[in-house]
Amino acid sequence: MKFGAGKGIFPKLSPKENVPPTITRQSSGFDQFCSVLRDSQDLSILDMSGASQANITFITGYGHRISSDDIIGTMGECFGKDFLENQGAASNAQRFLDQTLMFPDSSFDGILVWDALQFLKTPLIEQAVLQLLRVLRPGGQMLMYFNANEKASQIPVYSYRINDHRTVTQSPRPGSVYQRSQHFNNRVLEKLFERAGSIKFFLTRDHLRELIVRR
Amino acid sequence: MEQIEEKALCMWTNKRKEEEGPQRLDRPAGVPVSTTTPAEAPRKETINMSTPARPFDTEPVSARGTGPAALGKNVTIKGQIFAREDLMIDGEVEGNVECQEHRLTIGPNARVQAGLKAREIIIHGSIQGNVDATDKIDIRKEAKLVGDIKTSRIVIEDGAYFKGSIDISKAAATRPVSAAAGVQPVVTATPAASTVNNTAAAATASAK
Repeated sequence: MKFGAGKGIFPKLSPKENVPPTITRQSSGFDQFCSVLRDSQDLSILDMSGASQANITFITGYGHRISSDDIIGTMGECFGKDFLENQGAASNAQRFLDQTLMFPDSSFDGILVWDALQFLKTPLIEQAVLQLLRVLRPGGQMLMYFNANEKASQIPVYSYRINDHRTVTQSPRPGSVYQRSQHFNNRVLEKLFERAGSIKFFLTRDHLRELIVRR
Repeated sequence: MEQIEEKALCMWTNKRKEEEGPQRLDRPAGVPVSTTTPAEAPRKETINMSTPARPFDTEPVSARGTGPAALGKNVTIKGQIFAREDLMIDGEVEGNVECQEHRLTIGPNARVQAGLKAREIIIHGSIQGNVDATDKIDIRKEAKLVGDIKTSRIVIEDGAYFKGSIDISKAAATRPVSAAAGVQPVVTATPAASTVNNTAAAATASAK
């Protein structure tokens, strides 16, 4: 039996609805991210999964400030249906960067990127990573997920809702299944974040690679 | 039987006279109107029938249920709006809106490019600007807000578009995280409720 077969974020889709189910999963990466939230005060956190009551309540419950942005929603606006094709146009790419990551330098102590980066292709993903590192304060950290299934090309797009410091609920966005730009293995990710201070990988039992990147 | 009918007729006549008379305003708010003479006082049913229960005559008009002031969907305003009562905006506004101590509702058709300041803000429409609510902000699912929020409490429905930062005031941040479990924090008394309590207390004091 293959490791992780039949589990993770690629459950069998219902033939009628073609909508993946909502999944609640434990996240060691998020647990690590939360350790900083617990130990510090007055942090500034950027959540790139769009605004949600659960995430706002969780972050502000620690007394931190939260900023919300919907990076997947902006991708949809900027690139439309031909998602990967349209990323090649310089004007579209610039519009996307202008709308998502035009914050002042060192604005945030933590960024919840979730799984958004895997839908960006080179060179846009490299520009996005540079922007993320620019808006992150030195010592700050980013949490991100990458699908680890080598065979998957079409990936459902999820919204991420925080339940507690260890569990996160992934709700599928209606009608959003995007083509992944490439397979992100550890080597690709290390190269992508070579300018970061450190990278920490978390092993999971499902097809998800969790990553904490520190500036 | 005839006597009872006569007294009832007399009662209604007295009521009409009282409503027309200027002395109605002199009574303390919240004190029931008595149209009976001292000799008739023991007849409690007469007192009940003759008290139309209008104890809040001194309240502002908006608090009596006539609804907030409203800017309709075909109204465009450029400039500053200061409201001393609840306000509903469903049109286009560019500038600043302040409803200190009151509720501001942004309707589904509204397109607001302005800074907003109020006690409570409910958003259904589109806003571009910073929002400051001393008590609570309620962002409904059809809302679109681009700007920074400063408030004590926030409710945001799934599906609402929000881009910006949220600053929860310190007093709220130290409260238990009840909203995570879907429980609303304790709601403080509204000014209207305070008025009722004060009036009742005043009536009790005057009765003593």
